[in-house]
Amino acid sequence: MSAPDRSAAQTLIGACVLTIGAVIAAGATMIPAEAGYGGVGPNFLPWVVGGGLVLCGALVIWEARSGGYRNMEEPGGAARGYWRGFAWMTAALLANAALITSIGFILSCTLCFVLAVRGLRNADHQDSPRPFLQPAQLLRDALIGAAIAAPVYWMFTKLLAINLPGLTSSGWI
Amino acid sequence: MDLWNQLLMGFATAATPVNLLWCFVGCAVGTAVGVLPGIGPAVAVAMLLPITTKVDATASMIFFSGIYYGAMYGGSTTSILLNTPGETGSMVTAMEGNKMAKNGRAGAALATAAIGSFVAGTIATVLVTLFAPLLANFAVRLGPPEYFCLMLLAFTTVSAVLGRSTLRGMVALFIGLATGLIGMDQISGQARYTGGVPELLDGIEIVLVAVGLFAVGESLYAVLYEGGRRETRNKLSAVHMTKADWRRSWPAWLRGTFIGFPFGTIPAGGSEIPTFLSYATEKKLARDKSEFGTRGAIEGVAGPEAANNAAITATLIPLLTLGIPTSNTAAILLGAFQNYGIQPGPQLFTTSAALVWALIASLYIGNVMLLILNLPMVGLWVKLLKIPKPHLYAGILIFATVGVYGMRQSAFDLVLLYAIGLVGVVMRRFDFPTAPVVVGMILGPLAEAQLRNALSIGEGRWGVFLERPMSATLLALVVAILVLPRLIKRLRRR
Repeated sequence: MSAPDRSAAQTLIGACVLTIGAVIAAGATMIPAEAGYGGVGPNFLPWVVGGGLVLCGALVIWEARSGGYRNMEEPGGAARGYWRGFAWMTAALLANAALITSIGFILSCTLCFVLAVRGLRNADHQDSPRPFLQPAQLLRDALIGAAIAAPVYWMFTKLLAINLPGLTSSGWI
Repeated sequence: MDLWNQLLMGFATAATPVNLLWCFVGCAVGTAVGVLPGIGPAVAVAMLLPITTKVDATASMIFFSGIYYGAMYGGSTTSILLNTPGETGSMVTAMEGNKMAKNGRAGAALATAAIGSFVAGTIATVLVTLFAPLLANFAVRLGPPEYFCLMLLAFTTVSAVLGRSTLRGMVALFIGLATGLIGMDQISGQARYTGGVPELLDGIEIVLVAVGLFAVGESLYAVLYEGGRRETRNKLSAVHMTKADWRRSWPAWLRGTFIGFPFGTIPAGGSEIPTFLSYATEKKLARDKSEFGTRGAIEGVAGPEAANNAAITATLIPLLTLGIPTSNTAAILLGAFQNYGIQPGPQLFTTSAALVWALIASLYIGNVMLLILNLPMVGLWVKLLKIPKPHLYAGILIFATVGVYGMRQSAFDLVLLYAIGLVGVVMRRFDFPTAPVVVGMILGPLAEAQLRNALSIGEGRWGVFLERPMSATLLALVVAILVLPRLIKRLRRR
């Protein structure tokens, strides 16, 4: 990231922290202060946390504007983010959230797996992304995903009797 | 001796076939988790927390402890063979272990790491057996003010000692505390920050935050910034140590154990300090210093590995006797205890004595299992390293899903998981430590309860913390940790 970009991003983070602190402090006003047996009430810690976040947020903004975060090590990895891969991962996770109760755990997680692998694999070949519809690779990813999701599903539902959603109510898929 | 009887009874429980099986599975899962990059013991335990709804407490705590230890044994395998260490505690092992591996002595490095871990683990477990009941007896005398100050010390060390910036550590800590605030207040029953949403009355799930920050955040970070990274792998030689290797290793094992153990008991947080200390000690005491950093000195692997294992074992003492976690995974283990309604602390040794002693007995058994899993079977784990990264991270997402959904059966939690993963990416990119968030979230509500109890004991006066000698000492420690480093830096500049 270039220096002014980074400074802007760091300031933004500080502003977010400050906002969260303000929200918490605002919420603290709505909590009754009855202190019971002489201790402090349920609103004490919210005030402390809210105030602490506001203070820290302000300090972070100050650090960001006066030369950047102190003692910051360069984060590992590339300088620029690979946002196309990120889009695939986002699709993977949100599709899973949307579909898990309708098509069941195994199918939904297989889909998540395929989309996520797509994004990660493209991240490894950023200069030459392959087309999505490569049937052989798609099928292989889906089989691997199912090979992970299915045993996990069976183990948790059959062995441990933990409730996971299924496409059918047979308990096997 | 009563201690001996209790330990024997613990062995009787731990050696039942069911518990042995859980121990073995835990150790195997832990080793796999330690070998694989992108996933650590804290996340693995968090993802498997849903089993606490169905499995009985003893079995699942044995299982989780197996994961905790196994990850440490497995982490040294990765750090010796790969250039990127798996866990923070294995960073120092990577320094010398890598050099040894490059010189064709990977096998000896792996052997000394595994045997050293076994020696250190067993000695440390003996120390835990001896000291934990003593400390529990002493801890009964601690009251809410002392507990609150201890927790305050834990908060301070996790945010100010680790990491490079106290400010960023504090931000992470406060975010964790804020997350812990959501839900019903323990003492007054007042709903806080729930916005009228009934699901939030129970608070936010630990699993959600831990898995989101560490697992999902890690996967998102990998796709964004770590594409195309190639890691060099060293070849595996025969896992065997010569007589000379043995002669050089065993003093290092013992020194490492006794350096590492004290650091696990105190809330100094993290295993970097004891492992680096052990490395420095070995380097100073070595007869042939020229090997360090060039060919790879075996003491530089033996000592730190033993220190790491001893420190991790020692974290059980404050966890079980005081209820204060001194490592990330210990914090998640505390969450697991809470799922069963068990509150670790001095009463644990009286109310749940069977559980505690079975747990301690299973530590001995687990160490033996891990030695077997890691010495002759190391080739199996090395094969795991061949899994391509895309499949690994995508597979982690499946486990993350089952962990989060299995807890509360809410698809909305999966959306929250993604959002928390985003926060994790931002935190990693801008060098905000993530450990304080988890500690703040789990320990925050407990610390608040202790604070309010302390004040009601002191009849509303804040001076109660200064009037009792132990809490005053702890408070002074907290202030010292916050102020001293800055003071020293300023004085040095003059």
